[in-house]
Parts: sequence; structure tokens; C-alpha cells
Amino acid sequence: MKAVILAAGKGTNLAPFSMTRPLPMMRVAGKYLFDSILSQLKNSGINDVFVVVGHQKEKLIQRVNESASNGLNLQYVEQARSSGIGNALVQVKSKISPGEYFLLIYGDTVAASNIFSKIQQSFHFFKCGVASICLPPANSMFGNVFLNAQMSITKIVEKPKGDEMGNYVLSGVYILPYTFFDLLEKNKLSMEKAIQEIVETDGLRASMWEDEWLDIVHPWEILTANRILMDSWEESSISKSAVLESNVTISGTVRIESDVVIKAGAVLEGPCSIGSGCYIGNNSLIRSYTSLGNNCSVGYGVEMKNCVVLDHTDIGRLSFIGDSVLGERVDIGSGVMTVNRNVDWKPVRVKNNKSALDTGRLKLGAFIGDNVVIGAGNTIQPGTVVAPGKIIPARYSITGNNS
Amino acid sequence: MCGISGAVGLNDISQALYEGIRNLEYRGYDSCGVALVNSKGLVLKKNIGGVEEFYRKENVLRHKSRIGIAHTRWATHGKVTRENTHPLSSSDGAFAVVHNGIISNYRFLREKLAREGFHFKSETDTEVIPHFLEYFYKKSKNVEAALAKTVEALEGSFALAFITSHQPDQIYCAKRESPLMLGISDEIKYLGSDFNAFIDHTKNAIIIDDGEYAVISRDSYTVKSLVTGQEIDKPIQKIEWDSESSKKGGYPHYMLKEIHEQPQTVNHALEIPASLTDDIVDLIVESDQTYLVGVGTTYYVAQFGQYIISNLAEEFLPAISADEFVALAKIDKGSMVLALSQSGETYDTLTALKYAKSKGAKTAAIVNVMGSSISRLVDKVVFQGSGPEICVISTKAALSQIVLLTVIGLKLALRKKLIGKKEFQKQIDQLKELPEIIHAVLNERSGFIHRIAHQYYKVKHWLYLGRGVYYPVALESALKMKEVAYVHAEGMPAGFLKHGTLAMIDQDIYSIVFVPPREDKELYQATLHSIEEIRARSGFVLGIHFDERGKNKDLFSEELILPPVSPLIAPLLQLVIAQLFAYFTATSLKRDVDKPRSLAKSVTVG
Repeated sequence: MKAVILAAGKGTNLAPFSMTRPLPMMRVAGKYLFDSILSQLKNSGINDVFVVVGHQKEKLIQRVNESASNGLNLQYVEQARSSGIGNALVQVKSKISPGEYFLLIYGDTVAASNIFSKIQQSFHFFKCGVASICLPPANSMFGNVFLNAQMSITKIVEKPKGDEMGNYVLSGVYILPYTFFDLLEKNKLSMEKAIQEIVETDGLRASMWEDEWLDIVHPWEILTANRILMDSWEESSISKSAVLESNVTISGTVRIESDVVIKAGAVLEGPCSIGSGCYIGNNSLIRSYTSLGNNCSVGYGVEMKNCVVLDHTDIGRLSFIGDSVLGERVDIGSGVMTVNRNVDWKPVRVKNNKSALDTGRLKLGAFIGDNVVIGAGNTIQPGTVVAPGKIIPARYSITGNNS
Repeated sequence: MCGISGAVGLNDISQALYEGIRNLEYRGYDSCGVALVNSKGLVLKKNIGGVEEFYRKENVLRHKSRIGIAHTRWATHGKVTRENTHPLSSSDGAFAVVHNGIISNYRFLREKLAREGFHFKSETDTEVIPHFLEYFYKKSKNVEAALAKTVEALEGSFALAFITSHQPDQIYCAKRESPLMLGISDEIKYLGSDFNAFIDHTKNAIIIDDGEYAVISRDSYTVKSLVTGQEIDKPIQKIEWDSESSKKGGYPHYMLKEIHEQPQTVNHALEIPASLTDDIVDLIVESDQTYLVGVGTTYYVAQFGQYIISNLAEEFLPAISADEFVALAKIDKGSMVLALSQSGETYDTLTALKYAKSKGAKTAAIVNVMGSSISRLVDKVVFQGSGPEICVISTKAALSQIVLLTVIGLKLALRKKLIGKKEFQKQIDQLKELPEIIHAVLNERSGFIHRIAHQYYKVKHWLYLGRGVYYPVALESALKMKEVAYVHAEGMPAGFLKHGTLAMIDQDIYSIVFVPPREDKELYQATLHSIEEIRARSGFVLGIHFDERGKNKDLFSEELILPPVSPLIAPLLQLVIAQLFAYFTATSLKRDVDKPRSLAKSVTVG
């Protein structure tokens, strides 16, 4: 079966990280989200994969080309203008033959284990269109799928009114017939309407997904994705070329890639992932759910916990990075604190363009875009967002000549 | 777009080949064909239509073979006709080929072959392949060499497979751009456009890459390069797939499937012939004393029956756990025993019935499995018709039995003239609303139940509390939690609390309270009173109730709110909710839901 990954969206809500990359190119739990999807696809028996690219396409195209050798027949298709999921999907119409069913995947979702095997099993049984459904982690107004006992979807309520409905929602993984393209075109490329129509006409069966699942919509959900993926690890791995000096203490599951140097006295509490070429300074404390990209440098005495850090980022000595996401080539000076809770323990709010969103999290740090420089001595308020390329000066309490 | 499959084995593979091609039908299905080998040579069968239709019409399974290839077609070149259907054979009949893909230079090749004197029977692009194979085989007398030469001439995309009378125990296949893989099991080697062709038999797959061909026989396979002829070492890829689980439809577990089937099974229970339940009512009326007997879940069903029949028909029919029956019951010729069993094989229940019979008592049973020991033993039997219950934990069978006991209670009340025909019909109509309400609640509330179960799955101790008919609901709900999630859960009458158990209430003891609808005034007030006792000791209370949100807010730490329903069906609906609560707790704890430890589907030992 052919698979189609939709990865052209702008992911506006995921700023500042989506401003400089398509979401599947986030490195979470030590691995690009895109690579996680590909390996799950491969293990589910899929060979042919089409990736629809658009927003920041170069990075993804490069990755498609790099990944093509791993046994998958991988091709990308460009969406010229970013104009919705339906439009992205019709870009691959010519790649699918009449009468053929294909696997459709939204590139912004994460599942703890192989959701693609599961939906193919259901398809194997039903032999008609199937939508993967799941229970969202919280009572949110995602939409509501109505089923009968034979798992036929009878209706979909997109935005239920009031708070008296809470059921399975569409999880962004489908097996659809070629005729779905006709439905899309008939419904002016509205995915929502085309799905409604296939429910009413040919019928769509449901495949229930019970393991963890996440649709990454907001930047703090990158941390949730990181946790879901790390929780699925079963064993540790340490590269042959990694150098661990004396008194390095490791517990839990860790992944330490090639050419990593961990200096004496460092403590790593798994699960955590250290990308290739990283340097971890003396006496630093790397706590659980820390994901460091490739070639990062962590200075002396730094504490890190529950954070995702992308490639080539440096963290200066005696800093604390917690419950935060840092982009690529970020330069954090020494003694920088990401404060991760409000004094009154109220949930942290994150300011996007217009409003401050309640994240519902009691602990949350900062979201720092690519190429940001944060000078030494800064204390960052919980929920702070820093746009790519910003330079924040150092904070001094003593300057000049104090003679 | 087409699907190809093939199989070669020690014994007859015709059934495996049939299943394989049927599972590829989603790739296209306007016509279908197979090629097999018998003692006289190649046998070709093909026709237009879907796979099942074709197999039936042509009686294909009549032909036994140890080797075969099959094709399901979605026409691209040439109309949908029998002639254009694959397999296509060479002029001398020695090669039969199936192909998926498009040979882009086929017009040129056809002309070339026509000049060599080959006749074409179809309009397809594929037919050039068998002719080329014949042509090159005549020159080299080597099948593999003929294959390599043929492929060299082809432009475009293909996944092709063929069998030949020159090597009748081998399948040859090759690939460029169109998908092709092998499935490797001990008895049979498979090939297919994708793993759907063989996944029911093996998870070991070998993906054939572009420019490769493979030769498979019953006990070996080799993959080689089409260009160099060198053998290629291909790793076996394990496909993460569980073909057993595909039988659950889209459900992750049979337990959830069976919970969702309850609207249907309740309907089936309500549709069974009236004479069957009438017979039970006759027996109850004729007897001096009737006992309701079950064990495990069915004991709680019997307890429910004891309450509902007492409430509706003012008749006290003691419920006795089957394993205690001999020790407790007083049996003589005037007695009657109504037994409840899903499997109809339960050892303890069978023993109780045999004992009753030996004392000359009458016996009856409600069972789900026809022809079972209990159904053959008793004087009168009601088959509840819930369909097979595969999960070891009983859900749909238990609910159907509860519905049937409610019907018996209503009929008994009518017989005793406690209610009139009109009232009887009204109550039956209320029962008939239950399936639709369960259906709606499963569709609109599953997420809430899941959220609460997932939030509190680490709780070690639950008290399940109810009064009156809600007490057996609490008992059965607690048993679900114990059986499937292995979590301590204790069912108890809510009024029992103040007689000692309240001393246990602290932050580690969590309570679930089954609150009746407000119409059931006395029970409702008494139940709320019990909750206050727990809350006064800062205990956690999850209320399953029918009030509007916000009413009695202070009473509950968490609440699951159900739509308003009549008191007759309220406890039944709450039982469904409790089943789901136990289920989601078990999945959060990663339990083996369908095969929980220390439990068998029918307990046939004493």
C-alpha cells in the first residue's frame, strides 16, 4: 500500500519553531518526527511513501533525499501555495491509481507505537475506507465521532456544543479509496466536507487507537511528544565512540550517540537522549526527558530537565533549562534561568501573537527560536517566547569602573 | 493497478492462494485469474468479476495444486474481457504470467514479436512478456536467462510473476517500480503485491527491490540482480502485525467490542419468543420456592434478579452462589432452580443443578451457548442469543441476562395482577429504549469515562456503593474491576458503611457511588446521605448519576453524568458505564484485557 504524509502546513501556532522549519523536521526524543513516522511505516510493511511538502520545503526535501536509501521508495510532491489539507492531498492524486486504497497521515501527529500497523489490520478486516480514532488526552473540543457496533462511523460532530460530549476523535491517520479525490474536488477541497460525504455514501469504518497519541498544535506539546516517544523506549544505547569520563552516573534509559563527550561528575537520569558530537560539562545534571540535538554543548554545572534542544545549541555554565524548548544554534550565556513555575502555582500562560493561552501546566519554561542569543545572567519568565534571531543582552549588576 | 499473488508449498496451496488474492482485491477487482500446475501441465482459470464471484463461478478450488499464481485486475490497457484477464500464456502454453504495472513500449514490442510470428490473443501490454519468455527460452533452454533477457526488453513499470511447465515447481518473479514482496513460512513460500497476500500465514517478509528477481520453491528462495545475475543477500523483515487482532474489527480488544455490542444483544434478548420466558414464569408460579443460582458474574446477575423480581413482583426468590448452593438451599419436589450461565458448562452451577434434580426439584436455565451441558440438563431453557462472547470477562452476556430477569419480573407482576397490561407494556417499552440509550452514551461519554479512569488508574482501593437494586450493580461493577484490572474493588450496600467500613475512609480509599435517578426518591436521598458520610471524612467520591451538572456539586470529587432515564433501566445503564471504567483502568495499567490472569472463559473445574 502507498502512504501519503502531509507535511506542507505552516503550523502557525507552533511559532517560533515552525517559522524556520516544517514541523516533521523537529528533532524530538533524539529523532526527527519525520524519521519516526518513516520507521513506523516501514515496520508496518509500507514501501512507497509520498511526502507533500510546502512550508519551508527545502529542509524536508533534503531529508527525503537523505532517507531514500533506507529501503523505502520515498518521493516528495510540492504544494505550491499553502491552502489547506484538501489542497495538499490532491497534489498526490496522480500518484495513486483508480481503484487503489492509500494510507494518509497528517505529519503533525505522534503515536507511542505503530498506529499504521493497527489501521492496516483494521483495513485487512473491513476492506473499505478506515479512519483511525482515539480518545484525546483531555476533555477538549476536538470533535466527536459516532459509531455503531460494527465500527461504521455514523456521523462526525466537528465542534460539539456544551460540555456533555466526549468521545473518540479522528486521529489524522486514514486508509482511503482513490474515489476520495473525487469527493475532495466535489467539495471544493474541503477535507472536512469530503470526510462527511464519504461517511454518508461509501461509508468509513473506525480503527480504535488506545495507545498514546498526540496532535502537536502548540509549542509546549513538543514536550509531550518527547515524553510519549521516550516512554516507548525499551533499552539504552551508548555509541562505541562516546567518551564517558570518571564518575559519570547514568540511570534509566539513555541514548548517547557517536562522539559524545561527557565530563567527570555528570549525572544523567533517563530517559534522555544526547545527540552525536555533544559535549556535557563537568558536574552537570541532565534529568529525565531531556533531548539534546547533535553538536550541542552544555557547560559546567548546568541542570536540565524535560526539555527539547535542537542541533548546535550551546548552554553556558551554571544555567538551568527546564520544561523548555530551544531551537537550533541558540546561544545561552552562563547563569541563565528558565523559571518554570509561577509563585502562586497557577497554570503557566504562553503569549502568542494576540492573547495569552492557558496551557493548563503548572510547570513550563521558555520557547526559544533558532539563532537566538541570550546573554549571561538572564532570568526568563515562565511561558516566554523568543522569536528566531533575537539577541537579548546580558544582565549585569556591576558595570564600568567602580574604583 | 492490479494485485498479484503466488504460493508454492509441499501440499495443496489453492486455499492459501485464494485467500491471498482476495486480500489484495482492494487494489482493483474488475477481473481475476489463476494459473496452477497439475499432472498434465499448466491450468489457467480466469474470468471477469470480483475474486469471490470468479472462484465460485469457475469452481476454482476444485483444482488442487502445490504451486500457483493469481491476479486481480483493474484494467489500464485493454477492456475488461476474459481475454484480457491475467494470467496470460505464451503461444506454446509453457509460460503463464501475471503482471502489475505498465509496459510503456508494448506497441513496439508487439510489432516486433508479430514479425517473429507470435499471435496475440489479448489487447494487453502484458502479453508481450510470455511471448518473449518463450522466444528467449527456445534459444537458451534456461528459464532464468530468458527472464533476464525479457526484462531487458521491457520499458515501464512491472511486478511480474510466472510459472512454467519447464520448471513446474518454481515461481519466478521480478520487479521494477511496482511493489513485490515474498512471504516466508516453513510450509509455504508466498509472493504478493503487498503483505496482505500472506499476512494471515506469516510475518516474515522479504521486500524485492527494483532491478531484482526471485525464484521461489517450496523450501527455498533466492533473490538475484536482473543485471548481473549475482545472488543478493536479503534480510527477512518482521512485519509488526498481529493477524489475530485484525479479527476484532477496528476494536483494540474483544472486551470493548462486546461492550459496544450491548445495544444489539439487549435487542436480541428482548426479541426472544415470549413463550420461553412465559415457561419460566409458569415454573416460578407452580413452585413453592424458586432459587436463582449463578457463580461469579452470574451470581451478581442472580442477585440483581432477586432485587428486581422483589421490587416488581413482590416475590422473594433467594439468590445463591452456586458453589454454596448445596450447603445452603433447602430442596424438595416443590422447589425450582433457575440457573444462569454464559457458557452453560460452569462446574459449580452444573453441580448445583444436579443436586437439585436428585432431590426432585424442577430446573431451568438462561444460557448463551446452545447444546451446552446445562442447556441439556434442565427442564426449561432460555437461549439469550447474545452471540459468542470471546473476552473472558463477561459483559454483554451478563447484561442480557439482567434484561431477561427484568422481563421475567414484569411478567410475574402481570400474572399476579400487581400491574395491568397497560402498565406492563409501558415498562417493556422502557426496556426497549435501553439499546438506543446505551448506544448514545457510548458515543457521547466514552471520552469522559476514559479521562477519569486514566487519571485514577493508580488507585489501589475502590469501594463500589449502591442501595437497593443498585447494590448488585455495585457488586458486579467491582468484580469487573477486580477481574480485568487486578485492582482491589469492594462492592457494598451504601447503608453498610456506617457499620464499620467508614473507619477505613481516608485519602487512599476511593469510592464510586451509583446514584439512582431522583424519581426514586427514598433510594436517592439515602444514597446522597451515604456520600455525605464519606465526604465528611474527606474521602474521594466518583458519582455516577443522572442529575444535571452542578447539582450536588459539593458531594462529588468527580462525576459521570448520564442522560435522564426511567428508574427501570437506570441501573443497567450504570453497569455499562462501570464496565467501561474497568476496561479503561485495565488499559491504562496495560493489562491483558481479553485474557486476564487466573480466569478461564468457562470455569469447568470444582
